[in-house]
Amino acid sequence: MERRAYFVLGDLAANLLTGALAALPAALLTVGWNMWIGMFAGMFLGMLVATLLSATLLLIFFGAMEVMLPCMLTGMLAGMAAGMFVPMGLLTPASAALVGGATGAAVFVFTYGVNAHLSGPLHLEG
Amino acid sequence: MDLATQRKWDRAAPGFDFMNGRGAEARWAPVKRHLFSHMRGKVLFLAVGTGLDIQFFPPGQNVVGIDISPRMLAFARPRAEAYEGQIELRHMDVHDMPFGPGTFDQVYTSCTFCSVPDPVKGLSALRRVLVPGGELRMFEHTGSRIFPFNLMLHLMTVVSRAVGPEMNRDTVENVRRAGFTVRAVDNVYLDVVRTITAVA
Repeated sequence: MERRAYFVLGDLAANLLTGALAALPAALLTVGWNMWIGMFAGMFLGMLVATLLSATLLLIFFGAMEVMLPCMLTGMLAGMAAGMFVPMGLLTPASAALVGGATGAAVFVFTYGVNAHLSGPLHLEG
Repeated sequence: MDLATQRKWDRAAPGFDFMNGRGAEARWAPVKRHLFSHMRGKVLFLAVGTGLDIQFFPPGQNVVGIDISPRMLAFARPRAEAYEGQIELRHMDVHDMPFGPGTFDQVYTSCTFCSVPDPVKGLSALRRVLVPGGELRMFEHTGSRIFPFNLMLHLMTVVSRAVGPEMNRDTVENVRRAGFTVRAVDNVYLDVVRTITAVA
């Protein structure tokens, strides 16, 4: 379980940034779209942004799987939310970026929770 | 020699340390240092790459480090020379190792079996060069059994396969399929980054 401040804060910042940056293009693109098409386009765009960010800048400073995996999930969910709620008129692009950031924070908490549950030695049968 | 795999890692060599030498190494340093602290006897280190892991080796060991990429080995050479012990670097494919049966007491791998094209065949080759009862100790990232992480890893593999690793492999099962007895699996991060200890 990661307890070093550099990585804990780095993981949080990475997910906040990824969420905001993934939601923004999805929100800008899907204004006036059908909600379902916007949702899937947002997912795709969000994951694309998350991949570009996490496989380059974030990977260099914060490591590999520990940053790529949650950021990919953040990107997908943030893009999906933006692509769905902006066409419905429930979010503006600016507020979509805030929702994206909040999504990143939620994924950060979820991932750390699951990791706390899973990390450590496994019981091997036989 | 698998020339396609060699070319892939030769291409990756110049930028490898820039991408992987800071965050990932700092993140994994305590786990790797602990894993490698178990080194004893004659050790084979598979896919030594640019030698980033050498900094975590305990001093005074007798290690043969192999890699399929000569360009990776060129980066590893100064690190091997600076090591306070004996490291022999050799350009080699795990599938065509010229070592006789039972040459090594231990084999170590570090983020390797995401990239070996035929992992069970590669692991079987490692079992052959280990003494009976010899240890395989691995630091690997594997696939996940937990949604949504397994979905993410499958999607990532679509892209990552082209440049190097596959993110969704069941490496623990592959170790068993290669004939090893798995003694311990430790989850370092989720059920994705793991240390695996197995016996030949």
